[in-house]
Amino acid sequence: MIRLRGVSLVYPNGTRALDDVDLEIEKGSFVFLVGSSGTGKSSLLKLLYREEVPSTGEVIVDNIRVDTLRRSRVPKLRRNIGVVFQDFKLLSNKTVWENVAFALQVTGTRTRDVMRMVPRALDLVGLSHKSRMLPSELSGGEQQRTAIARALVGNPKILLCDEPSGNLDPSNTTEIMELLQRINLKGTTVVVATHNQAVVDRMRRRVVRLEHGRILHDDERGYYFRGLGQTAVLPG
Amino acid sequence: MDWGKLRFFLGEVFANFTRNAGMQFTAIGTVAVTIVLLGAFLFVRETLQTFGAGVLSQIEIAVYLKDSVDDTKAKELAAAFAADPRIASATYVSKRDGLKRMQAVLGSDFDTSLLTTNPLPNSYHVRVRNADDVPAVARAIAKDPRVAKADYAADTVQKLLKTATVLGRAGIALIALLSISAAIVIANTIRLTVFARRREIAIMQLVGATNMYIRMPFIAEGMLAGTFGAAVAIGVLALAEHQVVPKLAATLAFVTFRVNELTLCLELLAVGAAVGLIASWISVGRYLRT
Repeated sequence: MIRLRGVSLVYPNGTRALDDVDLEIEKGSFVFLVGSSGTGKSSLLKLLYREEVPSTGEVIVDNIRVDTLRRSRVPKLRRNIGVVFQDFKLLSNKTVWENVAFALQVTGTRTRDVMRMVPRALDLVGLSHKSRMLPSELSGGEQQRTAIARALVGNPKILLCDEPSGNLDPSNTTEIMELLQRINLKGTTVVVATHNQAVVDRMRRRVVRLEHGRILHDDERGYYFRGLGQTAVLPG
Repeated sequence: MDWGKLRFFLGEVFANFTRNAGMQFTAIGTVAVTIVLLGAFLFVRETLQTFGAGVLSQIEIAVYLKDSVDDTKAKELAAAFAADPRIASATYVSKRDGLKRMQAVLGSDFDTSLLTTNPLPNSYHVRVRNADDVPAVARAIAKDPRVAKADYAADTVQKLLKTATVLGRAGIALIALLSISAAIVIANTIRLTVFARRREIAIMQLVGATNMYIRMPFIAEGMLAGTFGAAVAIGVLALAEHQVVPKLAATLAFVTFRVNELTLCLELLAVGAAVGLIASWISVGRYLRT
């Protein structure tokens, strides 16, 4: 589903965000990208939805060469990829329903389909009863669930989450992670960039660890730190 | 037709339009001023053209015949004039008639009793259908052996024609400059809206809206501002026509004006919409490319 080959990304200011990264992600899998801040997790996600273009290397998403994709083809690529952020990126003047519908409306979906797809997405994230509320009236977890509903409403094959629990308390974090797991069970490929050790260690999914733009390790059913469970006590 | 889609689109346009109302008024005002001036320019040009055409149509070629050509021979020329399709009319004025005319025009200031002979030649007063042909026709007539001289108010004709072109060009340049300044104001207004809506735009791009789709509400907003401006201008022009033109017409008999024509109004509206369209297109395009 996702394949990176020899990918490097150097920003105009000279920062080397990614350095010769090779990565393959199977269809329908659930992957954690971990590592401390500034190790290239977000940059890697940005390459997948063509927010950034690699300096060298190949990026293939759903059989599409993303790195050489023509600008006019980018919208179509993005309709196949849902993206969720730490800061939710909801529109504050629109209700939950409108925020979710927005993703469909601006991609030219027929109203009849909007009316059918939005309730389904809201039902999936458990927010049907709050569809008329504004983001400011919701808890952080509910806001993130709204953002997830928006990312999923168009039935994308891939869901990318960049620090989805970064602004949430532990109970909301658990809630969101359970939701992501449910989404994954329905067949969507889920990639979560996070530095939340507790979450990673509890879920025991594939863990790809980035350090200074390189893949340090890549384990099936891994831990945040290789070989250490959540009971481990870290020095310092 | 998908009414839901249309309603969503119009909602977006309306939200844009009302978001920075102050700036929007400035944009509309600038377009209005531009189009009022455009209308005024068209009025002046129209007036000059009718006035010029009136003057030009009255220009006669005075054809003076040689003294050796007597009345009967002179009348043969009439046939030649009649054969020329460019010539509207040719009136024969004999020596005697000429003197009478001069007396009539000059009245008591002119004492014919002082003259021992009639100094005036036999002549033709030739009128040309198209004022542009006056120089050519005059030259052709002058070649005739019976003709001593074919005279016309050359300077007047040429000056008038030249003034009309110069005024036309200056007017077009002025309108172009004004249109550009109106476009810049609209572009800036749109840029403010784009800035105010950068979160929406970012999300639209994220979920896969095409650039064309993102552009549309802003284009509509620009066109709306342009069209509103033009509508205001048409109102001002119509008022001016009611209030000012009758007074002008009373003092200047040659003024004939027509602004209440539907086509002209539509043209001015189209100009306003076009200015708004171009301005917003460029403005949003620059944002989306970066």
